[in-house]
Amino acid sequence: MKTTTDAGGDVRLSGISKTYGSFTAVHPLDLTVPQGSFFALLGASGCGKTTTLRMIAGLEEPTSGTVHLGDQDVTALPPYKRPVNTVFQSYALFPHLDIFENVAFGLRRRGIKGVKQQVGDMLDLVQLGEQARKKPHQLSGGQQQRVAVARALINHPKVLLLDEPLGALDLKLRRQMQLELKRIQTEVGITFVHVTHDQEEAMTMADTVAVMNGGRVEQLGSPADLYENPRSTFVANFLGTSNLIEAEVDSRSGEDIVLKAGDGKLVLPEARCAAPTTTGGKVLVGIRPEKISLTHADDAGGIPEGRNRITGTIAATSFIGVSTQYVVDSAVCPEFEVYVQNVDRDSRLAPGAEVVLHWSPAHTFGFDAAQSLLAGTTGSAGLDEEAAL
Amino acid sequence: MATLTEAPPPLAPTAPQAEPPRRRGRWTPYWLLLPGMLWLLVFFALPMIYQASTSVQTGSLEEGYKVTWHFATYWDALADYWPQFLRSVLYAAAATVLCLVLGYPLAYLIAFRAGRWRNLIMVLVIAPFFTSFLIRTLAWKTILSDGGPVVGALNTLHVLDVTSWLGWTAGDRVLATPLAVVCGLTYNFLPFMILPLYTSLERIDGRLHEAAGDLYARPVTTFRKVTFPLSMPGVVSGTLLTFIPASGDYVNAELLGSTDTRMIGNVIQTQFLRVLDYPTAAALSFILMAAILFMVTFYIRRSGTEDLV
Repeated sequence: MKTTTDAGGDVRLSGISKTYGSFTAVHPLDLTVPQGSFFALLGASGCGKTTTLRMIAGLEEPTSGTVHLGDQDVTALPPYKRPVNTVFQSYALFPHLDIFENVAFGLRRRGIKGVKQQVGDMLDLVQLGEQARKKPHQLSGGQQQRVAVARALINHPKVLLLDEPLGALDLKLRRQMQLELKRIQTEVGITFVHVTHDQEEAMTMADTVAVMNGGRVEQLGSPADLYENPRSTFVANFLGTSNLIEAEVDSRSGEDIVLKAGDGKLVLPEARCAAPTTTGGKVLVGIRPEKISLTHADDAGGIPEGRNRITGTIAATSFIGVSTQYVVDSAVCPEFEVYVQNVDRDSRLAPGAEVVLHWSPAHTFGFDAAQSLLAGTTGSAGLDEEAAL
Repeated sequence: MATLTEAPPPLAPTAPQAEPPRRRGRWTPYWLLLPGMLWLLVFFALPMIYQASTSVQTGSLEEGYKVTWHFATYWDALADYWPQFLRSVLYAAAATVLCLVLGYPLAYLIAFRAGRWRNLIMVLVIAPFFTSFLIRTLAWKTILSDGGPVVGALNTLHVLDVTSWLGWTAGDRVLATPLAVVCGLTYNFLPFMILPLYTSLERIDGRLHEAAGDLYARPVTTFRKVTFPLSMPGVVSGTLLTFIPASGDYVNAELLGSTDTRMIGNVIQTQFLRVLDYPTAAALSFILMAAILFMVTFYIRRSGTEDLV
């Protein structure tokens, strides 16, 4: 990623890594976060995302590699000399100082006089003007969170680092703060680097998401790109739900690969396959549950040509309101998940019914079969494997 | 299908709830308090009352003492022994400051830097308690003995010239001088300073240090603006735990001092056990207690640590 003239707020990590004894928290990593973007590091706990963030902040010394902010190499600078501020996971507000002094802390340390106006404005921005003389423990979790953001933002850092800032809040407040943070980021235009384990949070807030697993970045891209075109089972499972089918490369037709799964044939655009495709080779085929249409076996004749199809039996259904979720048993995949919008409900689609699942080949993605089908699912089998190595 | 249009009726008014079913446990707190209260009564309240009455008695050992409400004993005691009072406060204050200066870095080290050595250092801090107070103080007598290596070294380095000039030592001697007494006090009460300091430092969230660093505070500023203010509860309790017993101590002044370094504890001890002037001894004890209470109250008010604890 090459930047233009204004590289002031770019964060460039080059070959950065961190090891603790024999444990490697972060494998050598190259990453560029462009000025003004909202960047999320997403992953399960222990994947190295917080360590990466702390290396940018200067709270952790990298074992190798360099950290650049714009054109300045800050690798050797202590945290108090870096133009970077952090919103800590548990806020780390100073309990002996009131809200005003907490927010004014950074300004005072840099010897700025007459902070009253600035602090007042900042507290108004986060809607805490009335609370200036209270101590942190007198505020609610959401208010403390806003103080932590204000305390960092008032210094106009080149980069704002957020370490799971919403983790301690309840669901409703979290949603509200997600929007709030996004609004503030758009308003001040500072680069935000946001660490989270919540894929929904990362997708709603960030422009770019880096999915981390076992100390490596598995995939980097826009939320939609990651979701529509995952390049590994970890990403496919960690972001939303995916149905994965083991298949064998049968032949090619133009831009597409034709695969053999059980008795049927599936078509996969070659551009959407992250694995080498030699005839006879194994490939994992994935499809998101909401891309699939469900048709009763009696109506199978009406399915348009050119769609990927799989036959199976409905094992369970659950009515969610906006949609209905089906679990379908098929020969190629034991628990196929299908989400169908509740537009016209077909009463024949009940457990035990024979059905045909079909979807557009353009929604299919594929990757190397030599990885765990369960990587990135809850319980994070993939992570445990990493730890065991 | 019938629709539900009525909420279920509220529960019947609370007749059975009026009497909580926990009657059996009602007296438990009092039973648990009883041993402590008895202890306080027998070993604190009753002796206090007894001493208070002694302090206003007159008479002599041969004829016996009678309560005559002779409050003049207090004024006489204060007039006769104010230098010892003053000396006690000065020595105790000096020892407290020394304890703080020596103890804070160590407590800081144990809390933040010791890592796996933490428990070992803690044991070493407490280790002196395995020997009696008296023996440890006597050991200092050997350490500071005339012509011993410590005095020799201090002499060679001309430290004794300076301390003599300040009036802390006399000539070539350290023993039997104010310096020896203050050293003894400092040594004996140091653990009482370190332990509360350690406890309050250890409670400080390490992320606050990181947050201060992140907000442009250099390590020294972080200490001044974050660590030290947050350790104030430890500083206050440590100084109190050092100053209060030190100001009433008589063992150090007795063993390491001379007649010129007598503290109020020595006077009280002599009055009680040698002169057998019980009213004066009792009056002195009460004056000491009142003085300490006054100073401590003032100190806690000033340090303003109420909302930190």
